[in-house]
Amino acid sequence: MNILAAAGSLAPATRGFLSPTGAEIVFVLVGLAVLGAAVISVGTRQLVHAALWLVVALGGLAIEFLLLTAEFVAWVQVLIYLGSVVVLVLFGLMLTKAPIGRSPDADSGNRWVALLVALAAAGTLVTLVVDAFRTSWIDLGAGGGSASVTGASLFRNWVLPFEALSVLLLAALIGAIVLSRSRQAAAPKPRAGRLRTGKPVGAAPAAKSPAAQSPSSERES
Amino acid sequence: MNLLDTLLRCVAALVVFLTFPLIIGQTEHKVMAHMQGRLGPMYAGGFHGWAQLVADGVKFAQKEDIVPAGADRRIFQLAPAVSLLPYLFVLLVVPVGPHGFVGQAVDAGIFFVLAVMGVGVIGKLMAGWASANKFSLLGGLRTAAQLMSYELPMVLAAASAAMAAGTLSLTGIVEAFHWWWLPWQAIGAFVFFTAGLAELQRPPFDMPVADSEIIFGAYTEYTGLRFAFFLLSEYAGILVVCALTTVLFLGGWHGPLPDSLGWLWTILKTFALAFVVIWLRVTYPRLREDQLMRFAWTVLVPLALVQLALTGIIKVAISQ
Amino acid sequence: MNLPGSGLAKGLAVTLRTMTKKTVTAQYPEVQPHLPPRSRGVIGLLEENCTVCMLCARECPDWCIYIDSHKETLPAVDPNARARTRNVLDRFAIDFSLCMYCGICIEVCPFDALFWSPEFEYAETDILELTHERDKLREWMWTVPAPPALDPGAEEPKEIAAARKAADKLAAAAGGDPA
Repeated sequence: MNILAAAGSLAPATRGFLSPTGAEIVFVLVGLAVLGAAVISVGTRQLVHAALWLVVALGGLAIEFLLLTAEFVAWVQVLIYLGSVVVLVLFGLMLTKAPIGRSPDADSGNRWVALLVALAAAGTLVTLVVDAFRTSWIDLGAGGGSASVTGASLFRNWVLPFEALSVLLLAALIGAIVLSRSRQAAAPKPRAGRLRTGKPVGAAPAAKSPAAQSPSSERES
Repeated sequence: MNLLDTLLRCVAALVVFLTFPLIIGQTEHKVMAHMQGRLGPMYAGGFHGWAQLVADGVKFAQKEDIVPAGADRRIFQLAPAVSLLPYLFVLLVVPVGPHGFVGQAVDAGIFFVLAVMGVGVIGKLMAGWASANKFSLLGGLRTAAQLMSYELPMVLAAASAAMAAGTLSLTGIVEAFHWWWLPWQAIGAFVFFTAGLAELQRPPFDMPVADSEIIFGAYTEYTGLRFAFFLLSEYAGILVVCALTTVLFLGGWHGPLPDSLGWLWTILKTFALAFVVIWLRVTYPRLREDQLMRFAWTVLVPLALVQLALTGIIKVAISQ
Repeated sequence: MNLPGSGLAKGLAVTLRTMTKKTVTAQYPEVQPHLPPRSRGVIGLLEENCTVCMLCARECPDWCIYIDSHKETLPAVDPNARARTRNVLDRFAIDFSLCMYCGICIEVCPFDALFWSPEFEYAETDILELTHERDKLREWMWTVPAPPALDPGAEEPKEIAAARKAADKLAAAAGGDPA
């Protein structure tokens, strides 16, 4: 709770909900936009549109962070999620399968189960947050979520989780490298350039390959 | 800061955003021509073709705005804006001179700049995908792959400058600058500038728009003003990358003249770097895709890490 | 001398040096090109010299010279003599859409009726207009530069030498009479 403590005190509810400030109205509106974008992102049958709606949802979240004065977190959200994760998702989609228009197989048979899980998760989270804070009011001071405050909190109070996360990421990185390497070792593919240099110029291909294989290779070529 | 002040700053940033890229573009026309023994544009506007880009703009505005039949209309039309706007936002936070001569000072300026510039990629990906054209798609994929590879050394190099200054604010970094940062941060400056060039897909890193193989990459299907927006975003990108290199590594407004003329130094350094960008374009041929990736991962990333280590060591040595 | 990156630096130096040098661009419509003195631009016809011998038309490799003529009979000066006939030029045209500027016609003309002119700006939008008729060819004659000066100490041109000889003889006769 150090961040919150730095950002402002947990004051008792002295404000009414009926006289919201401008920032609060914007917060709610952006929140609705984020919710809408997220729902469309899950519901749309156009794969790339889903990823782009995800961009809107994540960007909206960054704005919410900004409204909560958590400047640093907001920019990290944009840098990591918009700039890298969504781009990776889009990249992957386009590399594999990204038709323009609706994908007939975009609907999963599990969608009712997924909806159930999502609703349950949302219910749990909302209940948790509402129960934890109830009517307490956090006064947000400007600069409460600035880089220095966040950094101090992260490296004083939360060093252990931070380091654990970095070890986790390192493990993932090494795992990815190992996975991609092992497949290469299983099916060694000589590079085209080396093959060409290794072969003497003008050598008849039939002389090298066994006679039984040469017709098939000719047919292939 | 009252409303008028804010409005004035926004308008100033917009004016810079709309004029400076044109100046860079015109400089490119002329410098490139003279480096190739040509004269370049000579007619538009009378004196040495100074209004060539204005004429180009008028031409683009007159052209028919075509959306291919098979394209995803809305995304196709939205992509240029997504590609262009991030640079406008970045320009808003680049400090030009001391004493608050900046559109809007942001506390975590470096993070803001790098984050927002990363968003521009999405615009190019959208353009590549929505065009319903295999060349566009290839260009989009190359763009994405290249930008993801070069983002890392760029962020690491910027982090080195932030470490040296002890702040994430762009204004703070310039204020903390001393002349001996130049040799100290030289590697970082090289990495940042080179990675910036690659982010902009400027030659020699223009594989995503390699015209001899994939026509014009993600922009193949675009015409008229939307195409002009993509071009403008490239030149605005040059401006932004040069301005950022100036601010992070070349000391921004620091120079022999008094502080009141500091903005002149920033602009001068920015344009000198823009000249280098053009110079590199004229001199070097395009890198192949695999060379491009190898350069990012085996040259720039290690160099950036070396710079980070160097920065850390000297920083600790100074503070003791 | 084989430092890594020296090639890259050399490339940069080349482009920078080129930038400081004079450009090679010809700004043609504004600035006339500097042509060599005997450029082959267009062919001019001095029709006073033409005898309709047809040598040019016959030697032309792509047959782009059109000549029409008729014979005229001149009444005899001397009643004992035969009446003379003379060739009169009716049409002399060169089709510059066919001409390949080989200059053979000019070389073969025995009477110095054809000349090279350095004028080259006679592009047309209609190919038919590239056939220049005799009046146009005569106009080109005004643009033919004067022949180059003779080398110092060179032999006099034959026609001048002959004229001088005649003049000298005349002068000698005039000078001899009173003496």
